[in-house]
Amino acid sequence: MNIPDSLWGVWCVWRRYYSAFMKSLVYYLLTTFLEPIFYLLSFGIGVGALVGGITTEGVHLTYRSFIFSGIIAQTVLFQGFYEGAFGAFVRMYYQKIFQSIAVTPITLSEVLWGELLWDSTKACVAAEVVALIGVCTGDFHIHCLLTLLPVCFASSLLFSAMGLAAAGFARSIDELSYPQYLLIFPMFLFCGVFYPIESLPHVLQIFAWVFPLTSVNAIMRSLSLDLPLQPQAVPLLLLWLVATVFIARRTMFKRLIK
Amino acid sequence: MRPMSTASYPLQVQNLTKHYQSRHGGGDITAVNGISFHVAPGECFGLLGPNGAGKSTTIQCISGFYPATSGQVLVEGHNVHVEPKLARRVLGVCNQEETLDSDFTVFDQLVLHSTYFRIPRAEGKRRAQELLERFGLNDKAKENVEALSGGMKRRLQVARALISDPKVLVLDEPTTGLDPDVRRMLWEVLVEARSKGTAILLCTHYMDEAERLCDRVAILHQGKILDIDSPEKLVAAHINRDEVEEEVRPGVIWKRKANLEDVYLKLTGSRLGVEGL
Repeated sequence: MNIPDSLWGVWCVWRRYYSAFMKSLVYYLLTTFLEPIFYLLSFGIGVGALVGGITTEGVHLTYRSFIFSGIIAQTVLFQGFYEGAFGAFVRMYYQKIFQSIAVTPITLSEVLWGELLWDSTKACVAAEVVALIGVCTGDFHIHCLLTLLPVCFASSLLFSAMGLAAAGFARSIDELSYPQYLLIFPMFLFCGVFYPIESLPHVLQIFAWVFPLTSVNAIMRSLSLDLPLQPQAVPLLLLWLVATVFIARRTMFKRLIK
Repeated sequence: MRPMSTASYPLQVQNLTKHYQSRHGGGDITAVNGISFHVAPGECFGLLGPNGAGKSTTIQCISGFYPATSGQVLVEGHNVHVEPKLARRVLGVCNQEETLDSDFTVFDQLVLHSTYFRIPRAEGKRRAQELLERFGLNDKAKENVEALSGGMKRRLQVARALISDPKVLVLDEPTTGLDPDVRRMLWEVLVEARSKGTAILLCTHYMDEAERLCDRVAILHQGKILDIDSPEKLVAAHINRDEVEEEVRPGVIWKRKANLEDVYLKLTGSRLGVEGL
């Protein structure tokens, strides 16, 4: 396998997605950026004013700062998963884009890397926009934009891969609702986006740590709000990342290739 | 046809076998069972067979999308499963199903497709323009795919397969559902491609089309090639009379020249009411 040739193939696929994105820029800007901004306004400013300050991991901070960081995690979760699941399902099943590119000098393996990298780029940029808003409101330091970047990208890749695996398993687009309601929403509600997971009973805390969004939240809060970092967060995130990317690619190969 | 050493055929399929697991249980299915053929430069080779004979699986193996269970496919001497990038650089494929990129306009998707072959953008645009004119789609250049009729989509998909100026062109049922005039236009395009030396593999179930376009045809049935030869020789070998009689309506008998369809029906065992073969 010639590596520069393969990287070029992945780049070509990424560029195809980017061109499609630029063609419907207004639509994509609306769907990509408005949702996290609504969450920011509703929870950060609305609920934030109601709650005031909270203490977590021995640090006192405003609820607005706490939730702003949570919304960054929520953004990678939703944007990554939805693009990987619904977006890729449409491209694979209805548009048959994977099938049409993978009979050119670009291989299916490169198409799938291009798909994953595009989905995660989009989610990562959306998350960075949320972080930028947090910087503008004075909730985060400006250097957070840089330090958050690797974790935003890794977690975007993780949730995009989760979506792509779901698209590979789903027999119809409706079946994507199973992982959406059984995995994504519970993570959104129980993995520390809205409240510190210490508020949960001990058993539920252990359960929450099984899911990757808890690690993502922990790492992001440690970088953006200087909370102490639990030692298990980074290894857990990496483990999930490797597993989801592996499963997503395997599932898609199995589905498309007889 | 000029004799050639086997290494110089643009497309060679050698003992290709493809098993796959049934998705509904019941073990392995043998879709393609040890088939071999080659296509010479400028030759049009037909792959004929009823639905489920293994034509599309063969094409998916030739494009390298499906791995072969055994045997090999060489495109310009490159094994498509070992060196897919080199092999597919000279391969144009038009699948049976519609695989147009509906996120792009007619013109843009031709240019986009050319970038997958590392064709410089300016050259891609020039070729796209030329192909749209040749295929009568010029006034649709800025439309989205959804705005095209079925026949136009089919034409665009064949045009897209030609954007890389391939040495081997693989077409799976390219004329299904086309109006007679569009079908003839496509036939002319294929004749032009041949004259430039392109080797063409044509899968079709229109026997008149195969008889007209193909120098040689292979009749595929249940994954095996039953016979390969020119349409004329196949008719001479399998139909032992020049004329056949057929009752087309009750009491109405047609006498006509024996043709490839008679051979096909006889070999694939699905002969329907044709007498005297």
